[in-house]
Amino acid sequence: MKKIFITAIIASAALTSCSSDDDGGVAISENVEAPATYNFERGGNSTVSFSGQTTRILMAEEVLEAFKDFDNTTEASLQSMFAHVQGADDFSNADLNDSDKSIRSKTAASKDFFGANATEAAQIKNTFDGYISTQINEVFPNQNVLAAPGVAGQIADGSSVRYVTEKGLEMNQTFAKGLIGALMADQMLNNYLSTAVLDEADNRENNDADITETDKSYTTMEHKWDEAYGYLFGTSTNAANPLATIGEDDSFLNKYLGSVTNDPDFDGIATDIYNAFKLGRAAIVAKNYEVRDEQAAIIRQKVSEVLAIRSVYYLQNGKIAIENGAMGGAFHDLSEAYGFVYSLRFTRNNTDGMSFFSRSDVDSFINDMMNDGANGLWDITPATLDAISEAIAAEFSFTIAQAASAE
Amino acid sequence: MKKFLVVLAAFFLIIACSKNDDGTPTQEQEEDEIAFNREAMLINWADNIIVPGYEELESSTTALTWVVTDFIDEPTESNLFALRLQWMDTYRSFQKVSLFEIGKAEEVRFRDRMNTYPTNATEIQDLIANGTYDFSLPSTNDAQGFPALDYLLNGLGEDDAEIVSFYQGANGVAYKNYLESVSSSIKVLTTLVLDDWNNGFRDDFVANSSSSASASVDKLTNDYVFYYEKSLRAGKVGIPAGVFSNNPLPGNVEGFYSETFSRTLALDALNATEGFFRGRAHNCINCYDESFETYLDYLNTIKNGEDLSDLIIAQFEVSKNKMLELQPSFIEQIEMNNSAMLQTYDELQRNVILLKVDMMQALSINIDYVDADGD
Repeated sequence: MKKIFITAIIASAALTSCSSDDDGGVAISENVEAPATYNFERGGNSTVSFSGQTTRILMAEEVLEAFKDFDNTTEASLQSMFAHVQGADDFSNADLNDSDKSIRSKTAASKDFFGANATEAAQIKNTFDGYISTQINEVFPNQNVLAAPGVAGQIADGSSVRYVTEKGLEMNQTFAKGLIGALMADQMLNNYLSTAVLDEADNRENNDADITETDKSYTTMEHKWDEAYGYLFGTSTNAANPLATIGEDDSFLNKYLGSVTNDPDFDGIATDIYNAFKLGRAAIVAKNYEVRDEQAAIIRQKVSEVLAIRSVYYLQNGKIAIENGAMGGAFHDLSEAYGFVYSLRFTRNNTDGMSFFSRSDVDSFINDMMNDGANGLWDITPATLDAISEAIAAEFSFTIAQAASAE
Repeated sequence: MKKFLVVLAAFFLIIACSKNDDGTPTQEQEEDEIAFNREAMLINWADNIIVPGYEELESSTTALTWVVTDFIDEPTESNLFALRLQWMDTYRSFQKVSLFEIGKAEEVRFRDRMNTYPTNATEIQDLIANGTYDFSLPSTNDAQGFPALDYLLNGLGEDDAEIVSFYQGANGVAYKNYLESVSSSIKVLTTLVLDDWNNGFRDDFVANSSSSASASVDKLTNDYVFYYEKSLRAGKVGIPAGVFSNNPLPGNVEGFYSETFSRTLALDALNATEGFFRGRAHNCINCYDESFETYLDYLNTIKNGEDLSDLIIAQFEVSKNKMLELQPSFIEQIEMNNSAMLQTYDELQRNVILLKVDMMQALSINIDYVDADGD
């Protein structure tokens, strides 16, 4: 009796698990196949377009250059690069000047997180304005002063020179790494991959019926998905097949996805994200919205992980530099950490649709970093850096040791 | 009696066993592990190599400031000639100590302030025109030290008459002031480092003879291998030969303006790294003491059936001979036949592997530097 009973349970369990797996797998993806590369066509014409994202990445690159151009940059010139108005002579690249796109208008501007949260959106935009103003009003005047606690100026980082605020922050780093969250990740994860955007108005009906946008080869839904793709691969040497040059194509998300995927602990994460983009896009063509949303969830999880891994990486490397008394190197790492930690606000947790870290989580991390003493990073302790690293890593399945070493 | 002996033997056997069994090492075993005298090696390094090296450099920088004063008083072609000779002499003494970036040298960024090249001629001209400069600012690394002197003594004009003319007339004072500041800064930094060795650091250095990341042997070994890899192999040969760029960069050779001096400087640095490996006393051909060589031999480190120390010494020899085949001017060498530069680089690179991987592994020393991630 016992034997029969047990056998029956095992058998039924085996059957149950098998059948549920098969059902799930087969039913959802049977009509969707990802192409070899990110190439999609309709009637012989490519349907892929993300020129607006390429434009914003290129604008942001010029902003970063201008942050360190002591001889030519003013607060007004840097601010108008950030909040470009069509026709203004802000950039060295004439195409960017002609563009009606701006970085600032898309900073903290996702539909899901900020559509009904104008207060925080304005606060975040003001924070980036503040980075600009601090750089021009605090760091620039002290270009030829040696940095010290409470004194902005320059400091050696090995053979490099870093220019820091009186609290040891490099504003070009906080700006750049903060933008990876507030612009790239936020637009991708919380806007273009969101059902509120993909399925807005009659997007589904139009996509089902292959009704393209006026004078375009793509449906609105296809285009939204591509715009998410563009924030990662918009300046890739070969955007359809971008993994060969991952990490080399911009100073933002592409660069740091490259850094993470080159760490053997996270080997393959760039391929996973790329494959999810391809399969999700193919699912839109196949009108299979379940597969599409599954792929969006993969991208949200993994891009969030990239920001968290890089946060911990720089916090831990800053800690090592402090322990070695290399303050210039520490400030450089910790300024990058500051920006990546700020970016954690724009991550996306699939279980509740919220960020992995709330506004107050992120604010308290930043507050902890800057307030171990009166002089910000000059006073920061290894214990504080470990505590923040632990709190970040606890939300994910990687360890601090895995994130801290790039080898 | 026989019986007694057997019992006695058994007794000793038991004692021997119990000693081993209780887990604590016997005195003999303990001595075995620490038998290589790291402190003796540190003493040899400090007293016979490093401090004499800084003493030589210090007196040479003093001579340099005198000759600079002569030239400033009388900016003539013959005084320029004398100043150049002294500059070369002092620059060569610097190559013997540049690898010891530890203690005060590390603190003041000695190597970066003495020898960042290519020097920045535009910045030097700006600073001369401006009249105020602070060489403690890291942004002035490439406007001071020996490469800045190279520009001031060899690069200002087409020929000696034109160079000397910069130090004459109305603007001459600004050039004289800059020349004086650069040479006195070289002397001040050297004195700082030497004084620190003589006033306590030498004893701390020798006493810190344990094995840990912050111990003297571990730290200086890292500094040594870092220097060999980055400053010698890459800086003096690889970068100008274009190993890390699309094209060769002859403008990046050491001693660029003097033109015929680059091989001498590279050979001096190579001799210094080889001498340090073998524990050879400063300026002595045949005085050897405890060193990486004897440490590796003590550990009996074998690679592919040969003593690792022999392999490293042989590779130093191959590298040196390869380098001796090059033109005295690396600029000429790169423009005539860059592949000979690349071959020299390859020979230098072989010892990077032996030093950085095999030796450091054998000595159980962790590498404490990584290649910067480039941002």
